[in-house]
Amino acid sequence: MGSADEFIKLRCVSKEYATASALRGIDMVVEKGQWVSVVGPSGSGKSTLLNIMSGLDNPTSGQVVIDSTDITAMKEDEMARFRREKIGFVFQQSHLIPYLNAVENVMLAQYFHSIADEREAADSLERVGMGHRIDHKPSQLSGGEQQRICIARALINSPQILLADEPTGNLDRENTRKILELLNRLYSERQFTIILVTHDPFVAQWGRRTITMEDGKIIRDEYR
Amino acid sequence: MIATIVRRSFANRKKAAALMIASITFGTAIASSLIVISMEIGGRVSRELRAFGANILVEPEIEGMADLSGQRRYLRYEDIVRAKTIFWRHNIVGIAPFLETDAEITSNGKSEKVGLIGSWYYKELPLPGETGTFPVGIKTVSPWWSLSGKWSDSADNIVIGSSIASEFSVKPGDRIDVDGTPLKISGTLDSGGIEDRQIFMDLESLQRLKGAGGKISKVLVSALTAPMDTFAYRDPASMSKAEYEKWYCTGYVTSIAKQIEDVFKGSKARPIWQVAGTEGKVLKRLKVLVYLLCLMTLAASTLGVSTTMIMGLVQRKEEIGLMKALGAGSEKIALIFVTEGIMIGLAGGLFGYLLSVGASQYIGTKVFGIALEQRAMLLPMTMAGAACVSIAGTVLPIKKAMEVRSAVILKGEQ
Repeated sequence: MGSADEFIKLRCVSKEYATASALRGIDMVVEKGQWVSVVGPSGSGKSTLLNIMSGLDNPTSGQVVIDSTDITAMKEDEMARFRREKIGFVFQQSHLIPYLNAVENVMLAQYFHSIADEREAADSLERVGMGHRIDHKPSQLSGGEQQRICIARALINSPQILLADEPTGNLDRENTRKILELLNRLYSERQFTIILVTHDPFVAQWGRRTITMEDGKIIRDEYR
Repeated sequence: MIATIVRRSFANRKKAAALMIASITFGTAIASSLIVISMEIGGRVSRELRAFGANILVEPEIEGMADLSGQRRYLRYEDIVRAKTIFWRHNIVGIAPFLETDAEITSNGKSEKVGLIGSWYYKELPLPGETGTFPVGIKTVSPWWSLSGKWSDSADNIVIGSSIASEFSVKPGDRIDVDGTPLKISGTLDSGGIEDRQIFMDLESLQRLKGAGGKISKVLVSALTAPMDTFAYRDPASMSKAEYEKWYCTGYVTSIAKQIEDVFKGSKARPIWQVAGTEGKVLKRLKVLVYLLCLMTLAASTLGVSTTMIMGLVQRKEEIGLMKALGAGSEKIALIFVTEGIMIGLAGGLFGYLLSVGASQYIGTKVFGIALEQRAMLLPMTMAGAACVSIAGTVLPIKKAMEVRSAVILKGEQ
């Protein structure tokens, strides 16, 4: 169904809504370990593409194959299992559980994956520079700090893919740079695949490949 | 981790958690109180229904018929106390023996043949083989009979029924001829039945008068009984040994009658179905009513938990959507709700039990005039039942949570 060079493969993927088409016959291949930036204006279909690659949304037509598995044929619970094994998420809004502290938010991902391990979760927070804030609730943390926790949570189960939807969208330039440096360091250490959606050219340039979308189609695919 | 999630989630939604616990608390308190009442109701209502009179009639085996020798058959006077030796002796709350004879009364130029009945109005006999006494007499089996004046205490005086007193224009203190012997009227009796046209004498005095020492015609027994069910109506002769033991050791009116029959030599004891049947029906209907109320109350509690959880889902959609995005399967999402349900149920069950202790006493005092005993064994039952009710309340919220679409929620579109 696929090879190592076709770690993520989209074939003629479309997504239709009642009043609009979000994706129009997307064909795309991502190799294992690539950092791909997906750019484009608002409403170009970037986030929809990410949601379909993660199985959070289903395409109207087409096929998504990840690591030789056709995820479009999966049932909801199979998809949940696949997601927790293979994929880590970072969103624009931090989406942390407000009543859990930093380490518990990371442990939540461990719990859904297998067994929650507080020490391991604390170590992961240490690696993203949040070792001193493990007992803090999200409301006690800055936007940049919250995103660091989200990165720790996304990577705690060692996923093969990190999907990031505007991860620095709410941050200032300094914090954006820090988050990207952190991501770059972790990427270099672990060699997972990153698909990062952004509308910010500064963020996009950190990727080795940039896909530009417009009106639900890929209009440019550039390697650096 | 699940305990941490649920604990922190409750701390974050204190009002909702309190509302759900309150819903279970009140539901289980009412249900638990009703269960206590249903456990006690048989004995209490049975005791109350004893005011309707005797429910067992003991007569000679061939009632009122001459046998081959032409002699009437009688029960033995000395067997009366033996009724308090049977397995269900503590359930026997009234015994009244009767010796039935006839007499012609004459007064003010009028004559009439009436029943002359020997009995006791109220007295206490020593308990066989034990210290203490037990009450016997008409008052213990027919408490609504009204005596004006005094009961007969010798062959020189009688009690007459109210209809006769009226017809012959006599009253306590007057004299009336009985079989040609003038006897003093010590009192009048008003029963509202055929007894109003009979005359009564102290039992032993009538036995001496009629030369029927140690003989009685019939005995009325008032016993506290268990409600009759299908099993109770079965013929004991067709039962297996185990079934017979169960029947014998259950306080059915039929099994108590059988035990009484065994101690009265040559007797036939049978339930007075107008009374016993009504008791069974009343008790059965009361129990059904109690169980239905229990079910309705618990259903309301389930609905309370369910509604509160569903309302809380509006706030928790992002949380659920995030969990799904992180790879939480249906079972782990459901487990969070079920664990919440269990914790709410256990807390509500505990509070409900404690509340029911007071409620049972209040209801018992108000309805039966005594505080009903709350049983400790009901605590684990109440808590387990409350947990089940609460878990049932999570079914709909779980279904709703499964419908949450992460992609939409996390984009902030809902």
